[in-house]
Amino acid sequence: MGLIAQTLADGLVLGGIYALAAVGFSLIFGVLHVINLSHGILVLMGAYLALIFSEALHIDPLLCLPAVMAVLFCVGYCYQRYLIQHAVDRASINSMLLTFGVALMLQNAMIWLFSPDMKSITPSYAFASFKLGPVNFDAVRVSALIASLVLLSLLAAFLRYSPMGRVIRATAQQTLAARLCGVNVRHVYALTFAVSAAFAGAAGIVIGIILPFSPNDEGTWTLNAFVVVVLGGVGSPAGALIGGLLLGLVSTLTAQYVGPAFPNVTMFLLLVILLLIRPQGLLGNAFSASR
Amino acid sequence: MNRTPALIALVIAAAVLLAAGPMVLPPFYVRVGQLMLYSAGLGLAWGILGGFAGYASFGHAAFIGVGAFIAGLVENQFSTLPTALLLPVGLLAAAAACAILSALIAYPILRLRGTFFAIAMLGVSHVCAEVTNNIDFFQGSMGLNFPPIAPAGMDPANFFYELYLAGALLILLTAWQIKRSRFGAGLLSIREDEDTARMLGVPTERYKRTAFVISAVLTGLMGVIYAHSLGYITTDSVYRDDTNLSLIVYSLLGGMGTLFGPVIGAFLLVFITQVILGRLLDFHLFATGLLLVLLILAAPGGVSGLLKRRKTA
Repeated sequence: MGLIAQTLADGLVLGGIYALAAVGFSLIFGVLHVINLSHGILVLMGAYLALIFSEALHIDPLLCLPAVMAVLFCVGYCYQRYLIQHAVDRASINSMLLTFGVALMLQNAMIWLFSPDMKSITPSYAFASFKLGPVNFDAVRVSALIASLVLLSLLAAFLRYSPMGRVIRATAQQTLAARLCGVNVRHVYALTFAVSAAFAGAAGIVIGIILPFSPNDEGTWTLNAFVVVVLGGVGSPAGALIGGLLLGLVSTLTAQYVGPAFPNVTMFLLLVILLLIRPQGLLGNAFSASR
Repeated sequence: MNRTPALIALVIAAAVLLAAGPMVLPPFYVRVGQLMLYSAGLGLAWGILGGFAGYASFGHAAFIGVGAFIAGLVENQFSTLPTALLLPVGLLAAAAACAILSALIAYPILRLRGTFFAIAMLGVSHVCAEVTNNIDFFQGSMGLNFPPIAPAGMDPANFFYELYLAGALLILLTAWQIKRSRFGAGLLSIREDEDTARMLGVPTERYKRTAFVISAVLTGLMGVIYAHSLGYITTDSVYRDDTNLSLIVYSLLGGMGTLFGPVIGAFLLVFITQVILGRLLDFHLFATGLLLVLLILAAPGGVSGLLKRRKTA
C-alpha cells in the first residue's frame, strides 16, 4: 500500500512538471501549427539562466523566475518574428525542420558555453522532506509542483479572460477570420511564441531544481512535450495538465513495476493506442494537421 | 524529347567510374566514398516513402538497427557456413525482419499524416533502440560482433566500398522503376492530395503500405552492410538520431521527391561535413543546423529546385 501510494504521488509530481514543460509547445502548436523542435532548447535555456542568476546573486532559484521568463519572452518574440515567420506559411515539415536546425546550432553552442557535463541547481532546502501519512514528499519536488500548478493556472486565466488571450484563441480557431477582424496575426504569432518560450523557461527552472540537466537532454524534453500534447489535446493548459499527469503516472508506474528501462516503451505504446482510438487527445479539438 | 536512354548511359558510366574509384583513390577518400554511397543508398530508400509519397519519416534508423542486429544474430547462429554465404543469409534475415516490422506498424502509423507521422517514426526508432538495448537476447548494450566477410587478398575497405555501391545501385534501380510505374504515379498523387486521390480510386492505403515496406527493407539491407563494415556494433552505433535527420536533409538539399535528389544531397552533405569540415569536429552540429536553416529559408526546393528555377526563368 505504502509503495503504490508513494509511486502514485511521485508520478503526479513528475506529471505536473511535464505539464508545465509541455504547455508552451502545445500553445505554439495550437496557434501557429508549428511543431517547435527547439522547445527542449528553450527549456534548457531557462535552466541554465536560472543557474547563472542564482549563483551570481545568491538567491533562491525560484525567485529568478520572473527574470528568466522575461528574458525568454524577448528571445521567443524575436525568434518567431525574424526566423520562424518566414517558414510558417509553407509546408509544415519546413517549419519543423527549421526549428530542428536552430536546435542543433543552439545545442552545439550550449556545449561550448556550459560544457557537456551534467549540471544541477541546488536550493538551500534541497534535502528537506516531510511525511504525509505513509507517503514521503521532498520539499524541492513539492515546491516545483506548486510552482508549475500556479503557472499553469495563470496561463489558463490569461488565455481565458485577458483581451490578448482572447485574440490568441481567436487566431488559433480561425486565422483568416481573425485577420479580417483586424487582428495583426504576425504580432499574435510572435506574442504566442514569446509566451510559450517564457513558460518553457519557467519549466526549465523547475526541472533544474529536481533533476540534473545537460545540453544533450533537449531531445528528451521536446519529445516529452510532444507526447504530453498528443495525450492531452492541443492548445490548452488543461489538456497539457491531463497529458502531463498521465505521462508522469505511466512512466513512474512502469519504472517501478515493469523495469527502469521501459518507461519510454510503454509511453510510446500508449501514444499509438491513443492516436488510433482518440486522435484528438483526451481533451481538446481535433488535430486538423494530423488527418 | 526522350532523355531516358541518355540518362541510363550516364548512370552506367558514373557507376563504372565509381566502381573503379578505390584503385586510384587514397584510403581516406575511399572511406569518404563509402560514406557517400551508404548515405546515397539510405537517402534513396527514404525517398521512396518520404519523397515520392510525401510521408517524411523521422525514424528510419529503426530499420538500419533492426536489419543490422537481426542479421548479426542470425549470422552468428550460422557461423559454420562458408564466409561467402554469410552475407546473403544476413541480408535475407534482415529483409524479412524489416518487412515484418514495417508491415506490422504500417497499419497504425500510416494513419497519421505530416509531422505526426514524422514524430511517431522517431518514437518507433527510439523504442526499437531501447528494446535492443535492454533485452539481453539482442546484445545491444554489450555489442554484437560480425564475422569478417571480405574475400582473402582484397582490402576490406575496398570490398565494402563496392558493396555499398552495389546496394546504392540496387536501390536506385528500384526507385527508378517505382517512379516510372503506375504505383509511382499513385504515390505522387498521395503526396499531392491524398483525399482526392482516394476519392478518384487510387488504392492509397495499399500503396502507402507497400512503399513503406519497400523503403524499410531497402534501408535494412544498407544497415546490414554498414554493420559488417563496422565489424562490431552496439545500440548507439546503428540507432542514431543524426541518421534520422540526415535522411531528410539529403532530400531537402538535393530536391524532395526527385529521383536523383537524395543522391546529390548525400554526396554534397558528406563532402561538406567530412572533407571541408573534417578538422572541425566540434563544429559539426552547428554547421549541419546552419545549413538546414539556410536551406529552408533560401532554397526550399533543394539543388534540383534551383536548377529548375533557372531553366524556367
